[in-house]
Amino acid sequence: MKRYLGIALAALTAILGTTACGSRRPVLHVYTWADYFDMDVVRQFEREFGCRVRIDNFASNEELYAKLRAGATGYDVIFPTTYMVHLMRRENMLIPLDREQLPNLVHLDPKFRAISADPDNAYSVPYMFGTTGLGWRTDRVPEDFEASWTVFANPEFRGRMSMLADMREAMGAALKTLGYSLNSTDPGELAAAGELLKAWKPQLARYDSEGYRNSLASAELVVVQGYSGDIIMIREDDEVEEVRYAVPREGGSLWADEMAIPAGARQVELAHAFINFFHRPEIAAQNMEYNYYHCPNMAAYELLDDDFLSDPVIFFLLHGDPELLAKCEFIEDLGEANALYTRIWDEVRAAR
Amino acid sequence: MDGRRGGAGHGMRRREWTMSAPSLGWLVVFFAIPTTYILVLSFRPANPLGGVGEGWSLESWRRVFQPEYYAIYARTAWISGAATAICLLLGTPVAYTMARAPARTRAWLLTLVVVPFWTNFLVRIFAWKVLLHPDGLIRHLFGALRLIGPEVSLLNRPEAVLLVLVYTYLPFAILPIYAAADSFDFGLLEAARDLGASRFSAIVRVFLPGIRRGLGVAALLVLIPALGSYLIPDLVGGTRSVMVGNKITQRAFTDRNWPEAAALASLLTVAVFVPLLAVLRRPGSEAGR
Repeated sequence: MKRYLGIALAALTAILGTTACGSRRPVLHVYTWADYFDMDVVRQFEREFGCRVRIDNFASNEELYAKLRAGATGYDVIFPTTYMVHLMRRENMLIPLDREQLPNLVHLDPKFRAISADPDNAYSVPYMFGTTGLGWRTDRVPEDFEASWTVFANPEFRGRMSMLADMREAMGAALKTLGYSLNSTDPGELAAAGELLKAWKPQLARYDSEGYRNSLASAELVVVQGYSGDIIMIREDDEVEEVRYAVPREGGSLWADEMAIPAGARQVELAHAFINFFHRPEIAAQNMEYNYYHCPNMAAYELLDDDFLSDPVIFFLLHGDPELLAKCEFIEDLGEANALYTRIWDEVRAAR
Repeated sequence: MDGRRGGAGHGMRRREWTMSAPSLGWLVVFFAIPTTYILVLSFRPANPLGGVGEGWSLESWRRVFQPEYYAIYARTAWISGAATAICLLLGTPVAYTMARAPARTRAWLLTLVVVPFWTNFLVRIFAWKVLLHPDGLIRHLFGALRLIGPEVSLLNRPEAVLLVLVYTYLPFAILPIYAAADSFDFGLLEAARDLGASRFSAIVRVFLPGIRRGLGVAALLVLIPALGSYLIPDLVGGTRSVMVGNKITQRAFTDRNWPEAAALASLLTVAVFVPLLAVLRRPGSEAGR
């Protein structure tokens, strides 16, 4: 009996010991997009820096913004897109970065300095570039299918297509189709884009930013507006070989998700270490191979297979058709004009 | 809601207060304060950068009564109203059968009603997506029977939202109706038959009035969550299935317009309260007697 008691006590001390030890390890809170980096990378970071990483996901920049505005504190690293970085910076929602703690930024590809949200990396560091375009299934469309936003007018795919439930992306596709800038603030151009979206609507199954991946994989949807890496992931990871992605001939949106530290972060030093770690060449390469987006890290390029690195879809900014690339734009924050977009987008969604 | 009666004795009063203090406190902290906060928020101006502006404004309330919202209100009302009606229509015969069944069978039937809750709500909605898939079994069966044309989709439409709402909330309708039917004296039905009523009229004129409290509670338990549904229209609804709940989400998360989201939420709270008060304040609506 005594022996058992001894074992029990020993076990108890061991358990208490580990939890006490565990609670001393700092916790880094990361707020990011779903499936955006390899969890092995996170585990490696935890081991190297003796901390734990908690990950929380958002589905849109607006959700990230709304949550931080609502007073959510305690996040240490966030992954906003360029236009959201501008807005957050104007609103004093970001902490200035300490370049001393980010030595790996020497690997950043200078070609993309100019288009980055923050060329000097005073507040943010680019993580991944991607595009928004069309994904489709080769087994459900004619052989001569060509990627064009006008597919949404095609009654042949009625009820089997989706556009993103994202005001800027949906409006952007319509503006591009009409030959306008996707950052247009001209009321006439925006009204025309609204009319075009209303004309496309009867053919759409729904507006969807999250579920379209599964639906394209199961062929519930046949043509979708979506993000490049998300759609390639269906082909590569879910092994649905019939899935294709391209930027439509009218042009699409380009975007860069950045890493930044929000005001109110508790683990500022560890957050810097995390950002720096993500630009360590082998880590950046590992993440690119995981999510099929383009991390602008030159030293990491050298660690990738030639096949991978020459992929014009993943590395659209480097190897995409220059003529098509010229038609693409980055989404910018519109400040006051946002209300105009909201009004037209509302009309579209309320239309019969 | 706490079932207190008006005619309680004076000596009981203090005891009643101490007894109801915890639930009252709970209601104030988790219901009254947040609801009031939302209501106050709806009278503030919107700030295009998100958050809330300075001063006071009726703009949000003016906006929510604009015609472009009417289609959404009408859709929310018909989908949740129809879901309630169908749940009552399906739930009553089930509850009747359960109440009249022998004790052993009854226990089995009750378990069957509750079994779906063992599976997560979200998983069950995704199961419907599989069932209604354009290449799925049901779609092919309907197509083969020439019930629907080749271009008709079963998913992404208001009817799909209605179907999944009925599926989700049917147990909530069955249980209170069953509870009322269980305490109903079925001898009354035989008496009605003896006095010359047909089977149908005995049910309609004796049984249904006898369980009306249960029917009222069942209607509320379906109508209230259906009015506020957000996830179901989001997952199985299409471009024409947006309900008030989805609009509130859009206002709060993508449009950065909190006051308007608050005005919509307040409107929904009122829409929920009207039927609630109508059922709770009806005098003498005791079950069974």
